Amino acid sequence: MKRKRLLIIPVVLVIFFISSCRKDFKNVEKPENYIGNSFGDVFDAFWNGMNNNYVFWSIDTTKWDNMYKIYKPVFAGLDITKTADVQKSVQYFRAMTDGLVDSHYNLSFASPIADSSISPAYDRKLKAGILRPAYVFYDYDAKYYLDSPYVHGQDAINVSNGDTTEAIAGTIKGNILYLGFNKFGLKNAYNAADNGVKSVLQFFINYLRNPPPGFKGVIIDVRGNGGGDISDLNFLVGNLISNKLTIGYTRYKSGDGRLDYTPWAPAIVTPQTGAKAVTVPMVVLTDIWTVSMAELTAMAIHTLPNGHIVGERTWGANGPLTNNEILNGGQFTAANFLFAYTSSSMFKYIDGNIYEGKGFPPDYDVPFNLNAFRTTGDTQLAKALSLMP
Amino acid sequence: MKTLIRNHFTIFALVSCFNIFCCFSAHAQLSVGIEGGYNKNHLVTNNSNRAFTNYGPLSGFGVGIPIQYKVNDWFAIATDPSFVQKNYNQQRSAFFVGVYQDNTNGYIQLPLMGHFMFGGSRLKGFLNAGLYGGYWLSGNVKGVMPNILDIAPDGTATGSIYNYQNPYSFNEKYTFNNEKDNRIEAGWVGGLGMGYDVGPRYQVFAEGRLLYAFTDQQKNYMTNQVPRYNTTYGINAGILVHLKNASSNN
Repeated sequence: MKRKRLLIIPVVLVIFFISSCRKDFKNVEKPENYIGNSFGDVFDAFWNGMNNNYVFWSIDTTKWDNMYKIYKPVFAGLDITKTADVQKSVQYFRAMTDGLVDSHYNLSFASPIADSSISPAYDRKLKAGILRPAYVFYDYDAKYYLDSPYVHGQDAINVSNGDTTEAIAGTIKGNILYLGFNKFGLKNAYNAADNGVKSVLQFFINYLRNPPPGFKGVIIDVRGNGGGDISDLNFLVGNLISNKLTIGYTRYKSGDGRLDYTPWAPAIVTPQTGAKAVTVPMVVLTDIWTVSMAELTAMAIHTLPNGHIVGERTWGANGPLTNNEILNGGQFTAANFLFAYTSSSMFKYIDGNIYEGKGFPPDYDVPFNLNAFRTTGDTQLAKALSLMP
Repeated sequence: MKTLIRNHFTIFALVSCFNIFCCFSAHAQLSVGIEGGYNKNHLVTNNSNRAFTNYGPLSGFGVGIPIQYKVNDWFAIATDPSFVQKNYNQQRSAFFVGVYQDNTNGYIQLPLMGHFMFGGSRLKGFLNAGLYGGYWLSGNVKGVMPNILDIAPDGTATGSIYNYQNPYSFNEKYTFNNEKDNRIEAGWVGGLGMGYDVGPRYQVFAEGRLLYAFTDQQKNYMTNQVPRYNTTYGINAGILVHLKNASSNN
């Protein structure tokens, strides 16, 4: 009888064991699920949205926990029904995010502050005094450098973010192929019904597939190019190669933890059907306004032995973007108050370096100077031409 | 973390004292053996904010060296230094079917248990209850994920993520992150089993065992962190050799 009673001890212990000692599991809410009826709610939606969805925590120097300690009480003191407080909140969001390395990062707001936005990369460059107005140069180069006739066109049908794709292709000195364009929506334009950009691309691709005798090189001008459709990597660079090309690696979030990541997957450019490998020099013209897909294109061509970059260091926004649910991370809406535009994945170049926030350096540094440009013309293009045999 | 280690040390010290006390018992029997078995581990966490993403259990194995110090006919102190796999996976559904990651994790662990015996003279039931400490020794991740920079060729199908991004298959050693990964694990252990004495020196046994970690797989490295715990259900079988026969209280 005594032994039977003693057996109760371990049974009680086991029941005790399995019912104790673990922390509570709080629900992690999607940032868009917060109602946003107070600044406390908005702060929680935004802070947690960043905590769980931002992909650069492993390389970012921002102390996000400190932001929680500092700004949670600050936001709690704001009244969301007062316009002055709503306006004041923008400066707090700016202070919280000003060190973020993601150079795609942009906060946009709902009414009544829909005219406000925050771009930490832009603010940093502005503060450093390295920002200048964005220009595209292909129209100037067409007028002063390209052989006549050249092909110029616009795609006004496949418009994204209100921008029309515009492109120019032609030759310089008869045997150097030139392509310049303002954004990446090339594949869409090429596959769509007749439009001006399609004609430009047809010229460019036909030239590459049937190069004339004495073909000397290719110049691709992505200065002032803000990026765009990621499928253009295969479409454009895939027309310059005949074998798959690994240009780096990407990884994205694998969980809600700041340091939860997938393995690195190789970033691969696949050649287009019928493409021939270009063996003559290829030069990509870049500047500080070469952003995102434009940077990846330059970096991809730079991996080739005959690929060169001339101009300025690029913007530094290399992480590809897609919808949050696709890769379980990246951009999100917080409490119907703001939209955080941020990368879905981290890109590491083939050399093992991450250029996010730094920009990719040119092989030949030719800084843009407006006064020099007015007097001596496009010195960056001139340098590119000097690299042709 | 320091507090956690201090608490574990205190528990182990108390159990060790109890063990030493028992060593002075005049009626004792030491048994050593070998065991192995199958288990299924669940990662207990909450990721309800993630679209079409769930964690699931995975099978694994464990091997160990059971050691028992029998104090009397109904109670023994038991331990079994062992290697135990605690595997789990993460998989996505619907549009994302085919996206998954299997995590294979190896732990070395040392339980300290009270071993309560009951039943007949040769066929006995037993119940184990105690604590274990472990170290996350190794990890491997295997799976398939969409590769955002390996765009799928043009096609008309739109039913899967892989119609847009080519799948990337991986199978690689997990790289531990010192800031994030908590490689020390502690928890409760409980087991229920049957043993059968095959002659005076040998006992074969089978046991169902629960390992219930109360330490997070992650260090406390971020605010509003969602914890992750291993819960492992296993079936073990093995054999014990009674090294020293002592007088029985039967």
